Amino acid sequence: MTTREGEVSTKETYDPQNWTNRLRGWFEGLVPPGQALPARQPVYVASWIYVFGVLTLTALVVVIASGCVLSLGGTTWWHVSSVGHYVNSFHLWSVELFFGFMVIHLWGKFWMAAWRGRRTMTWITGIVLFLVSIGTSFTGFLSQTNFSAQWIAAEGKDGINSIGAGAFFNVLNPAQMLLWHVVLLPLGVGLLTLMHIILVRRHGVVPPLDAELEG
Amino acid sequence: MRSLSIVAEGPGKYIHWGVIQISMANLIIIGVMILLFILALVVPFPSHDEPPDEEGEGR
Repeated sequence: MTTREGEVSTKETYDPQNWTNRLRGWFEGLVPPGQALPARQPVYVASWIYVFGVLTLTALVVVIASGCVLSLGGTTWWHVSSVGHYVNSFHLWSVELFFGFMVIHLWGKFWMAAWRGRRTMTWITGIVLFLVSIGTSFTGFLSQTNFSAQWIAAEGKDGINSIGAGAFFNVLNPAQMLLWHVVLLPLGVGLLTLMHIILVRRHGVVPPLDAELEG
Repeated sequence: MRSLSIVAEGPGKYIHWGVIQISMANLIIIGVMILLFILALVVPFPSHDEPPDEEGEGR
């Protein structure tokens, strides 16, 4: 439907058959109004244990940014360049922090039973995200293009074959592992992170156990 | 290149305790993570002296 500039068609806005309207409604309904980026949080969030989720997210941003820089020069340049060595180390240590923060976040959420209050999917997306992150890290170690990567691949192939995944996930194929590491698995991590954050914003941050008992 | 090879050459120290075998580096990292977890629970979080609003939200 064509309208003049600044003019909104009533029919276009409310037509339920219009897929753009349905998609917009779906987007708008993902989180309650004002909860996408709230400036204020419940008082119980004022604890260091609630910081580790956003620390994990921050580390993930650094992981992705340093990984993008690494991809600029190919698959071996960090072995022969001081800048490459620095960026490679930056990528490694941001991953170490990512996993450290994520596991402390997991401990905190486990001991406060964070699946309470219709937050089951928030918990499940977090656990799946943890597992996919391990896979992403594993393929990263296989993509180092050094003897360490060869050793890990040789040791890992039997484990992968024993679960029947070796036919389509060959750890002895460095090119396949690199593509899983830089395309498929980061895509999964990104989508799961987005789902996890939307669910946290939709249902709110889980209160501590004693706060719920008192309430 | 020498500084690069030093990282890979280290055999690493391992702790053997029955069926459990863990590298010293991993043990230290796990210890630091447990320490961070405990500190996150007991160290007070800095907060603004702001009166809570009607909905009971104080930050």
